[in-house]
Amino acid sequence: MIRTSLIAAVALSVMAGTAWAQTWTGGDDLPTSPLACDATPATAAAKPYDGAEPANVPDRKGKEITVVDVPKLIGIGYFNATSKGIADAAKELGNVSVKTDGPTKANIDEQITFIDNYITSGVDGILFAANDPVAIAPVLKKALSKGINVVGYDANSTPDARQWFVNQAEFNGIAKALVDNMAKEIGEDGAFAIVTSTFTTPNQARWIAEMAAYAEKCHPNMKWLETVEAQEDNVLSFNQASTLINKYGDELKGLFGMTSVATPASAEAVTQAGKCGEIAVVGLATPNAMKPYVEKDCVTSVVLWNPVDLGYAAMHVMRAVADGALKPGATSVTAGKLGELQVINGSEILLGAPFTFTKENIGGFDF
Amino acid sequence: MSRYLVRHETILAVLLVLALIVLSFQSDRFFTVDNLLNQGRLMAEVGLIALAMTFVIVSAGIDLSVGSILGLVAILLGVFWQNLGLPLPLAMVLGVVAGGLAGLFNGIIITRFRVPPLIATLATLALYRGLAEGISQARSVRGYPEWFFVLGQGEVLGVPTQVWIFLVCAAVAAVVLGLSTFGRATYAAGANAVAARFSGIPVDRTILLIYTASGLISGLAAVIFVSRVSTTRSDMGTGLELDVITAVVLGGTSIFGGRGTIIGTLLGLMLMQALKNGLALAGVKGDGTIVVIGLILIATIIISNLVRRETDG
Repeated sequence: MIRTSLIAAVALSVMAGTAWAQTWTGGDDLPTSPLACDATPATAAAKPYDGAEPANVPDRKGKEITVVDVPKLIGIGYFNATSKGIADAAKELGNVSVKTDGPTKANIDEQITFIDNYITSGVDGILFAANDPVAIAPVLKKALSKGINVVGYDANSTPDARQWFVNQAEFNGIAKALVDNMAKEIGEDGAFAIVTSTFTTPNQARWIAEMAAYAEKCHPNMKWLETVEAQEDNVLSFNQASTLINKYGDELKGLFGMTSVATPASAEAVTQAGKCGEIAVVGLATPNAMKPYVEKDCVTSVVLWNPVDLGYAAMHVMRAVADGALKPGATSVTAGKLGELQVINGSEILLGAPFTFTKENIGGFDF
Repeated sequence: MSRYLVRHETILAVLLVLALIVLSFQSDRFFTVDNLLNQGRLMAEVGLIALAMTFVIVSAGIDLSVGSILGLVAILLGVFWQNLGLPLPLAMVLGVVAGGLAGLFNGIIITRFRVPPLIATLATLALYRGLAEGISQARSVRGYPEWFFVLGQGEVLGVPTQVWIFLVCAAVAAVVLGLSTFGRATYAAGANAVAARFSGIPVDRTILLIYTASGLISGLAAVIFVSRVSTTRSDMGTGLELDVITAVVLGGTSIFGGRGTIIGTLLGLMLMQALKNGLALAGVKGDGTIVVIGLILIATIIISNLVRRETDG
């Protein structure tokens, strides 16, 4: 009985494995929209508002509001930066009291519990970065039903569980920047591997799917070897990257780091293996973590947006929603020093185009 | 021994009441029916598994694989329903059965091959999580029908559905452990397995059944968890075993076996949940809460050890 079920389980996983063999592991199954191989910008299709509306909202226009920010996890550079942006904006606005609190691991169950407790404690607004777009939906819907304004940033939920989402960069834009940089460094026929957080983390899964689509369209001869999961854990990311380096030897020409933890850890693994210049590391990361590697010429391109601006924009959107200034159907919103931000995909607010940090410009950033 | 049990549970009950009073002064939203029922909802999965874990630890064992079994069953539920096209009720039953099989496998390794439970379940913790990730290929299964959410998000007579399930299971567990021959065999196996064998108690069969039950109930918790969060992920239940073991040990069950009650586990669970929720509502951040729970765990065990030494001695 046990043996039969084990064999069945193994057979199942093998079947599932072959079914997905064409695409890169770690991507999701949503449709992709790769950008043009040259710099032609994509044309945005107009889409009606698809976010949700909270029930029985009290009038918060111009009033002091209490907002809680629940990122995926606390204590890492990236979310420290968004949290700084949120606090900056709150200070600038003057009529918002905000606090950042969340799990110490990127754990969906704990994140739900945190949000649930803040709903009970009676906040006016919730800012979130979801660990899972669907799993977080019930608790966010509960918040909406209690008249709480809900705005996401960094990692989206299903649209019907929040009002607006501040999108740091479009997925296909990031995917293009990453893959183009990698192709430039390792050549059109180089082989590479990916270090990601988990296969189900929404952003990373979306990027990987878009990267696969874009690579197939514009760099068809590049060879994908493997995608490994490293949570958002420093030690695990280092170990996974080291394992990839040992496993593939000279075949491995490049590593993609999909999180702000995985990229510096991968660069460290390459440095310690003495493979600087032989294995390229391209990834998403905060500049401070990457400065040592960029200065040593171990890493030449780091792709990201400014997370401080992301948090700043999210807070301004929250205030605009609470004031009733940002309503369904709006095409733009004013976000303090960032100026007018465009509404895309119905209920998302786009922060801007991704940014590539290089040796020349990285010194000018401090986050 | 019975005097000790009364003592430890009395200490816990006093602590719980104290915590409830202090916390309700910290936030006026803590001691409300709404909040308490909601906490019951959040606590149900850990609570269910803690019931089985009480048996496991009383029998001088440990089951570290419960979180992984939860993840595996969650994934299997999705695979059975979506990929194999089985009706959802059947997929739910098969999922729970698969959890039972995973538990049975633990039991077989422990009783047949004499592998210490710590090592056996540490191995299956990795094995089951690996299977979950392999089978799912990291794809989430979503889009369950509305009726399925009754289990995890719905209410029956104003009380969350899973709280009813938990109460029924707790009552059954309390009766089995406290009043049945099976319960006495569990205590005997945990207190002194050799003596129990010579007394004609079927120790191996008892332990096999306990681990199977632990797997089954982890499977049940998985179905409730999927219903509560409306999706399956292969990383579900990661680290859950630590919450479960903390609650059981806080409840006065001896990690060396032979001692412990369901009432103690229930008190331990409630104290932990009350602290997590109450401190959050009082404005303490998440990292502070973990520290407080750690301190309370150490304090409770030291106090109850001191009291025991006095009564024993």
